[in-house]
Amino acid sequence: RFLAWMGLEISTMAIIPLMTQQHHPRAEEAATKYFLTQATAAAMILFASLTNAWLTGEWNISQISHPLSVTLTILALALKIGLAPMHFWLPEVLQGLNLTTGLILSTWQKLAPFALIYQIAPNTNQTLLITLGIMSALIGGWGGLNQTQLRKILAYSSIAHLGWMIIILHFLPNLTLLNLTLYILMTSTMFLSFKLSMATKVNSLATTWSKTPPLAALTMLSLLSLGGLPPLTGFMPKWLILQELTKQNLPITATIMAMTALLSLFFYLR
Amino acid sequence: MTPTHFSFTSAFILGLMGLAFHRTHLLSTLLCLEGMMLSLFIALSLWSLQLNVIPFSTTPMILLAFSACEASTGLALLVATARTHGTDHLQSLNLLQC
Repeated sequence: RFLAWMGLEISTMAIIPLMTQQHHPRAEEAATKYFLTQATAAAMILFASLTNAWLTGEWNISQISHPLSVTLTILALALKIGLAPMHFWLPEVLQGLNLTTGLILSTWQKLAPFALIYQIAPNTNQTLLITLGIMSALIGGWGGLNQTQLRKILAYSSIAHLGWMIIILHFLPNLTLLNLTLYILMTSTMFLSFKLSMATKVNSLATTWSKTPPLAALTMLSLLSLGGLPPLTGFMPKWLILQELTKQNLPITATIMAMTALLSLFFYLR
Repeated sequence: MTPTHFSFTSAFILGLMGLAFHRTHLLSTLLCLEGMMLSLFIALSLWSLQLNVIPFSTTPMILLAFSACEASTGLALLVATARTHGTDHLQSLNLLQC
């Protein structure tokens, strides 16, 4: 549908001035990269809808039936939210922004594409989704291992979380929404606690213990929750997703997802 | 696939390749984005002509308005980049590497 494309474009254009408010060269470079990727993805979504319209006569975005169009739409939406293999813009863009703008970027901007993803969920190609999800979880875990900048760590963690969300989309879209909600809550907690302690590197996090011990404890707890340890809340979506995957006879997939969760947990605990 | 479909599909794919593989100037990326929007505009107009549905015929104009907004945003970002980095060569966009 056409309104979806317009909504995506408007959200992109609205974020750009927020990003360039700082007048720092890094901020403008981040804004340029972000704008280019988002505009490309939006044009690709429109192109996929148009191709589908020419080939099958359906303009409604929830009834895309041609497999090429569905694949193209999913790829374009993955580019928009930062799934692998189209994730290369996310760490750099998040690095160049200040924490509040990065918060808006990671949480609010994911809502609109996810609305579209949820709508096209029944028609999707299962193999493609599983491939994207596993790749995102792997790259999110591996890429975050060598990072000292906090914003890049959060970028890689969001890539991994999005991988989890995409895997379950074909079977049970409501789990995707649940995971999205919890991810938004946890990521906002992380960003806001980093903003309060004004930390942008892992080394400066170590000094918060002397300033405000409650804040340091809260940061640690929410980090562990992001990693998905029981009995914290972050464990719940992972457990439900794994359960659903094993119900659908995909044990290998479930094992791979669990191991990549271990990877991201490692760099959280530093 | 009809010739019309093929022509605007190939136009879009050419613009996409130009966008993905730009080499020296940032301006060529914006040009390719505009080319993609133009091919989408042509496709949308032809399709609404085929449909003969009256309320749908305004969508090409709306698309044109939005792509103009998009292009102006891109140009504003280009001006900002030129102001801080000094040029729009792609090699200077490497401040954010880890």
